[in-house]
Amino acid sequence: MNNVLVARGLVKDYRRGRAVDQVDLTLREGERLALLGPNGAGKTTTLLMCLGVVRPDAGTVEVVGHRLPRGRSAAMAKVGFTAGYLPLPDRIRVNEYLRMYGQLYGLRDPAAAAAHGLERFGIPQLAPAMGTELSAGQKTLIGIVKATLHTPRLLVLDEPTASLDPDVAFRVRTGLAALCEEEGTALLVTSHNMLEVERIAERVVFLARGRVVADGPPAEVAASFGQDDLEELFLHLAQDPEVQGVDGGGGHSTETSKGVRP
Amino acid sequence: MSSAALQGWSASRSRVGAIARRHAYVLWRSPHRLFDVTIWPLVDAVLFGSIAVFFARQGGQGGSRTVSYLLAGIVLWHVVYQAQIAVATGFLEETWSRQILTMLTTPMREWEFVAGVAAFGLIKLVLGVGVVTVAAVGFYAFDPGSLGIWVIPVMLMLLMAGWSVALFVIGLVLRFGNGAEAFAWGILFVVMPLSGVFYPVEALPAVLRPVSLLLPTTHLFAAGRALVDGRGPSWHDLGLAALTTLLISAAAFAFLVRMLRVFRERGYITRYT
Repeated sequence: MNNVLVARGLVKDYRRGRAVDQVDLTLREGERLALLGPNGAGKTTTLLMCLGVVRPDAGTVEVVGHRLPRGRSAAMAKVGFTAGYLPLPDRIRVNEYLRMYGQLYGLRDPAAAAAHGLERFGIPQLAPAMGTELSAGQKTLIGIVKATLHTPRLLVLDEPTASLDPDVAFRVRTGLAALCEEEGTALLVTSHNMLEVERIAERVVFLARGRVVADGPPAEVAASFGQDDLEELFLHLAQDPEVQGVDGGGGHSTETSKGVRP
Repeated sequence: MSSAALQGWSASRSRVGAIARRHAYVLWRSPHRLFDVTIWPLVDAVLFGSIAVFFARQGGQGGSRTVSYLLAGIVLWHVVYQAQIAVATGFLEETWSRQILTMLTTPMREWEFVAGVAAFGLIKLVLGVGVVTVAAVGFYAFDPGSLGIWVIPVMLMLLMAGWSVALFVIGLVLRFGNGAEAFAWGILFVVMPLSGVFYPVEALPAVLRPVSLLLPTTHLFAAGRALVDGRGPSWHDLGLAALTTLLISAAAFAFLVRMLRVFRERGYITRYT
């Protein structure tokens, strides 16, 4: 299977310190990976570098065969992104919003793609609604529909289900699973909901202080740290001073191994 | 469902159209924004037209010419103003609605965004300049036809100057955040007196004249006054205007590219998430 994302040696320093430190990340076609870690672990910065929005201080990113930043536009035509914390614009209807993004993705028939996307997630009735008329959960759903309009090869979701009730979250998981299954879309997701991660991801990568500290299937990763599930592992890693103060040189490769590397 | 995708120029055209349409929705659904293209141009026309008429009635030489200078000045000024404000607030709209990150993760290139807001800005410009002109004609018997065909290159260069100022403002906002958005409205109020919109630069304090000569608008308004006088095109002013327009356009573009790079390097996107 082809890699849709290859990030090597990513480093990002901000004024307050190093946010991302020698992170390698590779994602294969159709793979569903969750990037986990406590607040400030470097998850969002890593995602933003993989999306070409933030320029790494060191390291390289290749998305669907296009090297960033030069190939950003071509790469983003194959990438969908949304975040639970990003709003919809107020003065635009849902169908207008989706059509606009369909055009930005370069679709020949953005209206049809918008209708299909709303159907996929079971919300065709929201098409004529204004952004101001939607609940937080509905806005998140529309964001996900927007990100999947062009059947991307790589779908990046930052905290996608933070404001969804269990029923809607279930619909999102089902819709995403169908997309990955049918279209071979790879999924890169961040979430603080460990139960949801266990349901949606086949592989997890834990970040702490900008470094990869664990990588592998959820159950194996949890077991390798002597924990029963990801929730416990999250707490363990977030509170473990050794992990928080992890030191030493070298990168933390996650690229080929599906095995666990505590 | 696999969606067929446009390529090359077709894709670019589609993206430029999407941005233009997005801003049409914003204007249509935010009636208060119509003030920029209706009420303020009307206020300007009445204000400067009435000042001109008042001074003309005081007697002295060149009364009617004073009226024409002021009215032609305000009509041409609105070309710069509407061009600048449409592009600058077009970008600011995306920061207010927190769409920057979402847009930066699409295939849209930066120039396609600017082209989209500028394209829709042309419609606003036609509206705004149209309102000033109609008011000047209706209230003060201004004859825009008297300026002749050479007013077209003057207006085109004013358009370029307005867009250049807008690119500079966008660069400032990228670098300094929304604190810099006051420049979107304020910067032209610095440019306006320096450009001699209603008077020759010789009327400016001597210390400001060298600065004013660096601005393309100064030479363009001088060329505009030559047209009002019926002297035809002032090649000297038009030549200097073309040169300085080219220079400030290049400088604004380079500044924006640099600020975009800083924006990505320092992760300023987090200001808008």
